[in-house]
Amino acid sequence: MKMFLTRSRVRSVATTVAVALTLTLAAAAGCDSRQESPLPSVNEKLRETHIYGQPTLKIGVSTTGPLMGELHGGTYTGFDVEIARYIAAQLGYEGDKRIEWVPVATEDRIPAIQGGAVDLVVSTFSMTDEREKLVSFAGPYLVTTQEAMVPTRLKDSIRTIEDLRDPRYKVCTSGGSTTEAELGKHQIRVFVVKEVGDCVDGILEGRYDAVSSDETILAGFLSKHPKDFTIIDMPFGTSEQIGVGVPISDPALRDLVAFFLDKSYQQGRKGLSSPWLTAYHQTLGPWLRAPKVQPPPLNVPKLVDFDDKAPRK
Amino acid sequence: MTAPTVAGGSDVGADPSTPRPARGRDPDERRARASQSFWTVVVAVPAIFSVLRLGVEAGGELQTTLLLVANVGPVNLLAGFLTTAARLLSTGLVAVFALGAVLGVSVDRLPGYRRPLFARWADITPAWFVLASFLIALVTWPLLYLPLLLPALAAAFQLRPDRLHDVAAARVLIVAALFGGYLFFLAPTLLDAWQQRELLVLALFVVPPVLALTIAGPLPGAVIRPLASVTEAAVLAMLVWASLPVISTPVLPLTVTTVEATPGTTEDVRGHVVVVDDVNMVLLQERGGVRYVPIDQVKAQVLCPSEEELPRHRLRVHDFHVEDSLLEGLGRRVRPANRIDAACRSTG
Repeated sequence: MKMFLTRSRVRSVATTVAVALTLTLAAAAGCDSRQESPLPSVNEKLRETHIYGQPTLKIGVSTTGPLMGELHGGTYTGFDVEIARYIAAQLGYEGDKRIEWVPVATEDRIPAIQGGAVDLVVSTFSMTDEREKLVSFAGPYLVTTQEAMVPTRLKDSIRTIEDLRDPRYKVCTSGGSTTEAELGKHQIRVFVVKEVGDCVDGILEGRYDAVSSDETILAGFLSKHPKDFTIIDMPFGTSEQIGVGVPISDPALRDLVAFFLDKSYQQGRKGLSSPWLTAYHQTLGPWLRAPKVQPPPLNVPKLVDFDDKAPRK
Repeated sequence: MTAPTVAGGSDVGADPSTPRPARGRDPDERRARASQSFWTVVVAVPAIFSVLRLGVEAGGELQTTLLLVANVGPVNLLAGFLTTAARLLSTGLVAVFALGAVLGVSVDRLPGYRRPLFARWADITPAWFVLASFLIALVTWPLLYLPLLLPALAAAFQLRPDRLHDVAAARVLIVAALFGGYLFFLAPTLLDAWQQRELLVLALFVVPPVLALTIAGPLPGAVIRPLASVTEAAVLAMLVWASLPVISTPVLPLTVTTVEATPGTTEDVRGHVVVVDDVNMVLLQERGGVRYVPIDQVKAQVLCPSEEELPRHRLRVHDFHVEDSLLEGLGRRVRPANRIDAACRSTG
């Protein structure tokens, strides 16, 4: 009898504890359901940017880079342009009516961002420490190496960096580019012009003998003149990370661009089609000797968005 | 669900020999009156809530409220209310039935003790209604809170482990196997939750099944009265607290309408479409005010999510987001979510 009473008492106490704990957990769940996300949302970030409320988005692109950024009959085409369109659509500016394309030369990219002429630059913009003191970068969305392109007639004469040092050969590159600095490090005398296209024209006119730039830019010109040029694989050393330039005063915009680049990267990782892959196959893909994949963007913020609950598989 | 004793409302603790029921009403009459009151509440609460929602949606403006009343059909309003309030309603009912059953069995063994309100409600409610409430909760509650249904179910139907097997060792084995299977099923989610330091999520997944084992049974006599009073007040407060977002949840879907008032110039209007006729589209703007847009100026329209739909956790149970209910999760698999339309972003 005593044992029965004890068991009964233990059961009563257990029931009391269970009821109390269940009510506590239910109350905690109720509070949890009313709390806001600890992470900022994409829309919150968007409201912090300087572009919020703007009717159009001003994007700086190249108009003279075949396969990367080019203007043809009033239409912008190229890998950079497609990446820019994807980012713009994610930011709320879908379609070319909502985008104000601003042609920027290589050397004008930083002043254009600093001066507010553009909201962001997507123009084969290498992410370097020096530049990061002046503008912010989101990315990379592409990793390239520096190469040299020579006319077909010189493909057996110019094969190494040593050959480029030969004073007989006039090497050309665009001003303000990372290639200019890299060639200087290798003591290569270089002729600096405004755009890589000017170098290509100069070679065709016999003024220069070689042009050095990012492999993607050179692949673009090779696609224009496949019989006239050859790309020489030169071990310049460093690879270059290509990113999207944004004003240094707008970290929220940088975060959003990095977030959307990462979204595309994650889609590609799962073996799904991604905006990056689509842009790549439409433009650069067929012209590069070694196929590329989207590199993982750096410093991607954790944000919540409306499609976070969507099935992943 | 019926209780072994007749629902009595009077406190006869002072004289246990006094026959129940008191105050001259027979149990059938009380039951009929209670049932009548219950169904009145079931019909009246959604109706009142719906009207309140229209007022809130209209921004407190009388004319806008009248515009909405004139254009939002009662069936649509009720369906909209049930869609957004099913979770709240089932939560209230589950809480009442679970607490009512525990309090009921606790009072049963104390003759002359006044039956708490929830116990009386549980007594007069048919078992099918209790079961239906749990089923609605099962499909409408977020997955994260579903484990709480286990102790609630065990409490409401007074399910004890004794029913699993006569032999104690076998019972332990069955319970251990069930709990092991449950943990194995949730292992990836629990690991993620641990890595993200989501301790509440861990507790919500792991603790309730354990509590379900011991929650059935009577409470000590000293606990009944304070628990009854506190939980009645708490459930009422919870319902009021949780009903505020339900009242402020929009009745009409949120859209962004692209309007071309002058050639070449478009404007995105974010708001709710009240009605469309041959001449105008009437938009209740999100920032307030009603706008009549000539129908030939409407160039595009997209459906947008609202910020209340943003998730708070980054956890999934076998690819079902923990904040989705079973219904929502299954729905996402039938119609996978499209990406957010750009127009929804640009107008904030």
